[in-house]
Amino acid sequence: MSEMELVSKLSGIVGETNVLHDPDRLSAFAVDGVVPRAVVSPGSVEEVAKLMAFATAEKLGIIPRGNGTKMGAGGIPRKLDVVLSMLRINRITEHDVPNLSLSVQTGLTLAEVQKKLAATGKGSFLPLDPPYTDKATIGGIIATNGSGPRRYLYNTARDLLLGIKAVLPSGDIVAFGGRTVKNVSGYDMTKLLVGSWGALGVITEITTKLLPLPEASATLLTSFDDLAKAVALTRKVLHSVLLPSAMELLDGKAAARIGEQGRYLVAFSLEGVVEAVERQLGEIGEMATREGAVATKTLKADDDRTFWVGIRDFALAADSAVILRANFPIAKLAELLALYEKAAQAAGIECAFIGHAGNGILHCYSADAAKTGAFAELIGQFTAEAAKREGNLVVEAAPRSLKEKVSVWGQPRSDTVVARRLKEKIDPAGVLTPGRFVGGI
Amino acid sequence: MDKETMIAELVKMVGRDNVLSSAMYFKLYEYDASLNRSQPDCIVLTESTEQVAQVVKFAHANRIPLIARGTGTNLSGGSVAVQGGISLVLTKMNKILDLDIENQRVVVQPGIITLDLKNELAKHGYLYQPDPASEKVTTIGGNFGENAGGPHCLKYGVTSNHVLGAEVVLDNGEVIRVGGKALDNPGFDLLGILGASEGTLGIVTEATLRIVPKAEAIKTMLCIFDSIEDGGNTVTAIIGEGMIPATLEMMDNLTIKAVEEAYHVGFPLDAAAILIVELDGLKDGMDRLTERILAICRQHKVREIRVAKDQAERDKIWAGRKGAFGAVGRLRPNYLVNDGTVPRTRLPETLAKVVEIGKKYRLPIANVFHAGDGNLHPLILFDERDKDELARVHAAATEIMEVCAAMGGTISGEHGIGLEKMHGMAMVFSEKDMAAMRQVKAAFDPLNLLNPGKVLPESEKAA
Repeated sequence: MSEMELVSKLSGIVGETNVLHDPDRLSAFAVDGVVPRAVVSPGSVEEVAKLMAFATAEKLGIIPRGNGTKMGAGGIPRKLDVVLSMLRINRITEHDVPNLSLSVQTGLTLAEVQKKLAATGKGSFLPLDPPYTDKATIGGIIATNGSGPRRYLYNTARDLLLGIKAVLPSGDIVAFGGRTVKNVSGYDMTKLLVGSWGALGVITEITTKLLPLPEASATLLTSFDDLAKAVALTRKVLHSVLLPSAMELLDGKAAARIGEQGRYLVAFSLEGVVEAVERQLGEIGEMATREGAVATKTLKADDDRTFWVGIRDFALAADSAVILRANFPIAKLAELLALYEKAAQAAGIECAFIGHAGNGILHCYSADAAKTGAFAELIGQFTAEAAKREGNLVVEAAPRSLKEKVSVWGQPRSDTVVARRLKEKIDPAGVLTPGRFVGGI
Repeated sequence: MDKETMIAELVKMVGRDNVLSSAMYFKLYEYDASLNRSQPDCIVLTESTEQVAQVVKFAHANRIPLIARGTGTNLSGGSVAVQGGISLVLTKMNKILDLDIENQRVVVQPGIITLDLKNELAKHGYLYQPDPASEKVTTIGGNFGENAGGPHCLKYGVTSNHVLGAEVVLDNGEVIRVGGKALDNPGFDLLGILGASEGTLGIVTEATLRIVPKAEAIKTMLCIFDSIEDGGNTVTAIIGEGMIPATLEMMDNLTIKAVEEAYHVGFPLDAAAILIVELDGLKDGMDRLTERILAICRQHKVREIRVAKDQAERDKIWAGRKGAFGAVGRLRPNYLVNDGTVPRTRLPETLAKVVEIGKKYRLPIANVFHAGDGNLHPLILFDERDKDELARVHAAATEIMEVCAAMGGTISGEHGIGLEKMHGMAMVFSEKDMAAMRQVKAAFDPLNLLNPGKVLPESEKAA
């Protein structure tokens, strides 16, 4: 199909003003250097359905997009014809305040959602705190199962969502789940779509649980000279009755970057009733001193909030061209981080590390993307060490030149055989995000 | 393949003692906790993943339907072999394989009884959160296959929020791993879709579960009301005030009477409703929260409040709640339990409709419900020998599902679709929604051999 024909067909579906095809402007929407032929912004779910049916009929490559914060992730696209911008599909469709549930379309940013929730009734929130605080859209967060430090207490989107609506490659508009916490009617398609990276369907709306705003919150920062001591504190807290909402471990480079001290920093977010927040500040503070902390500090009000935004948006502040994310059983944190630090130093690559100490997740941020050969080797080493410990490693962002040399989704897993069969059933023409997901799906 | 050859082949794989094929055994394995009955052609007990894989491969090669089964407590006909074939019983695979406190995980075989696991964890001060009322007899495999709930789901979520990994035997006998001890493994959330798939997508031979340290403090309150509306409004008000207790459980007068007669736990026989509120977490601030909850109860005309003083008193309250189905079961020869779920704010009007339905069909209905998460369990009491009554039971059950769907809820919260609720699927899903689910089924089990004839009704086109 010629460019003119494509543009005219797309315009027929979404209207001329909602099709971008000026080559100069299209380059901003390139994925790993692959420039789309058009960017379309549908204004309704019905338009998304028509676009998908058209794409399937014409075997076009489609990548759904919100504000583009995750476009650096995934494998290099096999083909890309149309970027599907979801930003105009952005309404809150139902906010059931007493039921503590919210239905919202996916083009809205999480920040906008939180603002509205906090201001309604007694105030509630969606307990998700993924990176890119102001920019990340609901769709991008759900499609990538994006999460942040507070998952320690609140878990992730997979656990919060009650229902989902999506457009399948066939153009079918489908809805799964509902508005209730318990629901076993039919297959749990919601979970299948959360974290599917848009490879099975375009997620258009979610229904999620909400939580009442906590009565009080504060942060405790504890600094250590020694990794073993810092991790020992996190392990004591992990196995205690205490319930922080986040427990983050930062290495010295990461701490310095957000203006904090210490060779290692452990940050605890405490939320809930006033009495419990105060007690935990005291008790974890004492535990930290016993474990050999060199300094402790309490943050409240704006300082508390700013600190966590700094953690969430670390990649922006540090201008990280490369972001890696290792997952592993919780108790492997200390040995893995020590190995990573040593390997990075040996490779001459400057890395900052931040980990969810209670979840077994470790992020590595680096601006040294130019050292492609050495970096690719380092990623291989990191991945192998995580895999050796029942874990894995995903490249969350990297320039194309580096992606070409590594496996961005880590070591292959035995379940890919089923993933492939699912993809072939639901997206037989292979139109959605071709090549970007695990196993080149 | 004829039955005798099939049995001979299976005996080679699992040994003579593990293949059951007498009329008595067929009778024992023809039912579950629903009203459905159908006999398998053969019952096989396996002792290892390898054996499961071998049996599944054999069934695949010979196109024999196969249905995985634990202790057979399924409430929707999910473990009944409607198309015959092999009933694959996993109760011998009941070991804890790896109690990994350090990583807060436990790896178990699917046949382990939920409460046995919890008792073992308790020795280490640890807890596996899901608590289906039937935990004394149900298996983890069944809990996962049905995505079982329980009273504590309001705060802690359902089974699939606590299962982090599994070893799965696929339709053709291939063994794969999904998830694991580590969180966030890359790829589609196949573990998520396997939960609540009722044995129609694969057979779990090993599960990795999240375990957590026991809460520091627990406060259990028994609130007695003279009207069920007052109880329901109390629930809405507690959550409206920004508090999410660990449980908010209710039962109505018929249930209260049955429980009291069976267990003598001290429930007043004339109460219209009992609400069990439990708080857990840190002890700090808990007394203040308790006071706030009690004040809300008083605002809603509570007759009496009993706060459990110790573990013994707490156990007594919960014995009453967890034994409710059994107690009600003593009232008539049979009961059918509905499992509709509505947004919690619609609970009082839904209950009123359930009462109307009971009157319309001249059937006694006892109500037990997880009020906090909107999950109702109307227990319709009857005698299945009375064919006219049985017909009215099915009509009433269907109407209750319709009411729940119309309230913006769903037809099953935690018991599964199985056979019993298949005809209700169209109340909550469009043909397109179900077509997508059928594609998932086809991706996992293209020959339709794993628990065939369950969950998804035949498509309109085929019918």
